[in-house]
This record gives sequence, C-alpha cells and structure tokens, in this order.
Amino acid sequence: MFGKGAVLLVLGFSMVFLVFGQHFNDLTTRAVKNSADYFREAKAYNIAATGANIAANKIFFDENWSAGLNNVPFSDGKLNVDVDPNYDVFNQIKKVTSTGTYEGYSHSITILLQPAKFSEFAYYSFYETADPNNPIWWYGTDTVWGPFHTQDYLNCAEHPVFMGPSTSTAKTIKYKTDKNHDKPYIGGKFSDKTNIPLPSNGLDPLKAAAIDDGHLFSGHDTVYITFKTDSITYRYAYKGAKTTVLASELAPNGVIFADNAVVRLQGTVKGVYSVAASGSGGKGTVYLDDDIIYHSDPRTNPSSTDLLGILAKNNVWITNNSANNNNKNINIQGSIYCETGGFGAQNYDTRSVSGNIYLLGGIIQKIRQAVGTFGTYGITHGFAKRYRYDDRLLSVAPPVFPSTKGKFKVISWLE
Amino acid sequence: MGFSTIIDILGSMIVGGMLMLILWRMNDSATKNLYNYGGELVLQQNLAVTSEVLEYDFRKIGYCKNWAKVVDPSKSILLADSDKIKFLTDLYPDGDPDGIIDTLFYRLGPVTELSSTPNPRDRYLYRSINSEIPKKINLGVTKFHLVYYDALEDTIPFPINYPIDTKRINSVEINLTVEDVSAYDNEYSSAIWRQIRLISRNLKER
Repeated sequence: MFGKGAVLLVLGFSMVFLVFGQHFNDLTTRAVKNSADYFREAKAYNIAATGANIAANKIFFDENWSAGLNNVPFSDGKLNVDVDPNYDVFNQIKKVTSTGTYEGYSHSITILLQPAKFSEFAYYSFYETADPNNPIWWYGTDTVWGPFHTQDYLNCAEHPVFMGPSTSTAKTIKYKTDKNHDKPYIGGKFSDKTNIPLPSNGLDPLKAAAIDDGHLFSGHDTVYITFKTDSITYRYAYKGAKTTVLASELAPNGVIFADNAVVRLQGTVKGVYSVAASGSGGKGTVYLDDDIIYHSDPRTNPSSTDLLGILAKNNVWITNNSANNNNKNINIQGSIYCETGGFGAQNYDTRSVSGNIYLLGGIIQKIRQAVGTFGTYGITHGFAKRYRYDDRLLSVAPPVFPSTKGKFKVISWLE
Repeated sequence: MGFSTIIDILGSMIVGGMLMLILWRMNDSATKNLYNYGGELVLQQNLAVTSEVLEYDFRKIGYCKNWAKVVDPSKSILLADSDKIKFLTDLYPDGDPDGIIDTLFYRLGPVTELSSTPNPRDRYLYRSINSEIPKKINLGVTKFHLVYYDALEDTIPFPINYPIDTKRINSVEINLTVEDVSAYDNEYSSAIWRQIRLISRNLKER
C-alpha cells in the first residue's frame, strides 16, 4: 500500500512539473520569437533598402535603366526591383519599388526619382565668354558660394574662391599667368569631365504648366509684372491700364509665362513662383526694372518659403533706368536662368556708375555677360557684384524649373 | 494503541508536513515563475511593438505622398530634444498615405503620472498627431532617449534650435528601455532596444 502511494505521489508531482515546465518553455520560446521576428523583419528591410540604393545608382548613371532586378539572391534572402519609367511623364518622374524577402518576411520600399534642377547651381555657364579670345577671368576678389559648373574653361586669375562643389567638362582650369599665381581655392571638390548640357527646350514644360494651372500671357509684346506680396499687378504698356489680382488666383501652381514677349519685372514676392519669357530676337528677355525681392528674407528668416525663378529664353538684363543708375543698388532674390543668353546689365559699358548687385540666389546662363567696366580707380560703368547663394536651392526649386537631363535624384523615399 | 502506532502517526505527520511544505514551496515558486516568465513575454512584446512603431514613424520623417508639399525636407524636424521630438510626416488612418502633411510629436511623460502602477520608474510615452489630444501609451517605458547626429556622425549638442541646428540632423539614435509594469517581489525585468543610426532618407534628399 505504501509502495503504491509513493509511486502515485511521484507520478503526480512529475505530471505537475511537466505541465509547468511545458508552459514555461512555451513562454520563453514566444519571448525569443519576438526577437527572432524583429531580426527577420529588419533583414527583409535591409535587403529592400539595398535594392532601392542599387536602383537609384543604376538610374543615376543610366537614365534609361528600367530592367529592374528579379529574384536576385542577396544576404540569404531575395531581392526584387521594379522600375516604372512612366510614373509621371510630364514631370519626368520614375518610380522604383524594391522588395526584400527573408524567411517568409517581406518589406517594400518605394522611391521617386526626378532629374535634378538647374536651380541647384549657384553659378552655371555654358560659355564663360562670348569671345573665346577675350576671356572673362575669375579674380581673387571673386567668391562663389554653392555649386559651380561651367561647360567651358575655368578661367582663373589671382586665386579666386569657389566654396561649393565645382565641376567642369573635359576642359581644365586655365590660368592667366601660371598655376602658382592663379590657382583657385576650391572649398568643395573639383571634378572635370562632368558634362551637364543646357537644354534647348527647357522652357516648354513651363509653358505647359502655365496653361495647365498657372497663367499664360500671349499676344502681347511686353508684359510689366510687379509682385506686391499677396497680389500681382500687370499691364501691357508703360502707361497702360493696370490689373491687380491675387497672386494665388492668377497662378495657383506658381508658373507665370509670357509667350513671345518681353517681361519687365520688379516687386516683392510672397510665395513660390517662376516667371518666364519666351521668344526670339529682342523677345524672350526679362528686364529687371527695379528690386525683385522676397517678402520674407531667408537670410534673416531661415523658415522663409518665398522662392522665385526668373527664366528667359534669351537674356535677363538689369534695366538701364533711373531706378538702377546713379549709385543705386539693385536687390535681386531668385534663381536666374538664361537658355541662350546670359545675365548682365543693359548697356553695361556706357551706362552711368551704378551701385552693387545684391543677388541672393543663383545664375544659370548660356553665355556669361558683363555687368560693368572697371578702371584703375574702380567702376567706370555699371555695377559691382555682391552675389550670395541661397542655400535653400540645394533642396527646393521654383516651380517647373528646367532639369539637368540624365542626372536623377531621389525626391521621395517611402519605407 | 501501542507505542508503534504512535510512532506511525508521528512519522505520518512528519512526512505529511514535509509534503505540505514542498507543495506550498512549489506553489510559491510556480506562481513566481509564472509571473516572471509571463512578465518577460509581455516585456518582449511591448518592446517589439514600441520599437516597430518608432521605426515606422521615424523612417517617414519628411515624407509626404504629395512630395511637392514638403518644400524643404531638411526642415522637417521641428523640435529635437533628448526625450521629445516633433516632425513633419504623412500619416494615414486607413492604410495609405493621404498626401496631407501631418505633425507627429513624441515625448516621455514624468514618472509621477504613473504612480498607480507598482513600478516606480515607468512612464507614459505620448504620441500626438497634429493638435489632437495626445495618446498615452503605457508599455512600461522607463527610458526614451534620443541623440542626434550630423552628416559627419558628430553629435549635435543640445539645445538644438530650429531650423539652424535641426537642419543639420542626419540621423537619430533611439534608446528605449522597457520594464515590467508590475513584478513579483519587485524583481522587475527590463529590456533595452537601441537603434544606433536611424536615417530618414527624405531628410537629405533633393
């Protein structure tokens, strides 16, 4: 009797211990499973991120790459990349979807890529001078902040300073005297063999955007546009009737386009706008009749969301008028784009001595233009330059600003 | 009743008493283990859930389905402190981004708010969207510490001012410690999760 009781007691205890042991093991296993699941998810995410990076790199070097990747083994998982080159044809946006799978877990990353904008440049020129035998030199008194590029020789005299990344095409630096005397100081990295051509139809998307949801001026030789913070006043002749409208109602998407016309521009900009002029001959030119500035200056208010693009098929000139002459400065805030011409001062070599050009933004031009002449005792005609790059242009652009063909960049990354 | 019978009864009482003691001890140990093992599981689950939510949200700093609405992604972090962060993102209640910019604010509450729980160190982790009333999450969080790094991986010292300093933020280190809300004999288990460099790709794109 005692023997049976002992056996039952042992069996009973064993059963109780087994049940408890099983339960504790289950709890421990589930706790560890959390960590294991997190590891698997992290691994799937890392594989997907790798695929997205590979795709972005491929598209950067070959804008037509759309083959994608199909079930590529990677890090004990699988990698799939799908490229949609026609995601947004109008804005040239490509969509890349990268999916990583690892032990039953998958993670997707979606990125959008768009060609980089010319507005990122502090300075861009296709030709550094209209006359190859008479180069315009960058002097030791010149400092360029922000990205710099020229398709031409970089003509240096007496150590000019380039603070941002600087690039040129296959051509190299040209020194006025010799390297020791003229070598530039380059704060960023200098790369030659970088080809960034200017488009011949960079304003076409602007015209389309103006028709779509902006404002298109057509059938007028000249359009006078004055930004007045929340509103815009325009007229078609010097003493013509003025029309004033809310800026946001005139061009909800921010694009104002004057087709086959001259634009005469001035005022205070509140918001994000691009003003463009197309045409040939004397048209397709923007004249800056007076200051064109932001309502909120980004130098004093870094949160400013005011941004302007000034785009011309031909030239952007500082008007030779009373507002800009006789020791009067001109303030220009915006990114200037001249597709076949350049940015300069009207009658730069005959106009009276003006003040300084305080430019906050960037200049992108086909041919470098002059803004004044200098003698032994300083300026004899025109302006002195006081250019400053608007750092915001590295990450934001005026609406529909022309793109640097073939150089895509990521504009959105969803993971 | 002879002497041997008394011996039998006394022996039985001793053996029975020992068995009772074993049973009580076993019951106590089983309860303790059950509490601790269960607590460990809940702890691990809390940590996994919290870290997943944090990673999910932080990776979308500066993201918006309508990307053009984020004029300058580098200014997406509006407030950066060691135990709080506020940033722009695109949240969505029903599965997909809606293309509307939202503000998301994480902050760690004081320990005094959670005096009702046995653990003296746990706090609410607040997650508030736009101007809505903050949602209080009590998952036993005892530490939520953020460190910010620039592109050169140098630590950005506090105070981090908007937008001059917040623009420099390239990556965030997230330190999270979770403990049991209550524990047997005040023996609290804890688990630590650290995301060494969480980079929201939208911050430095464009």
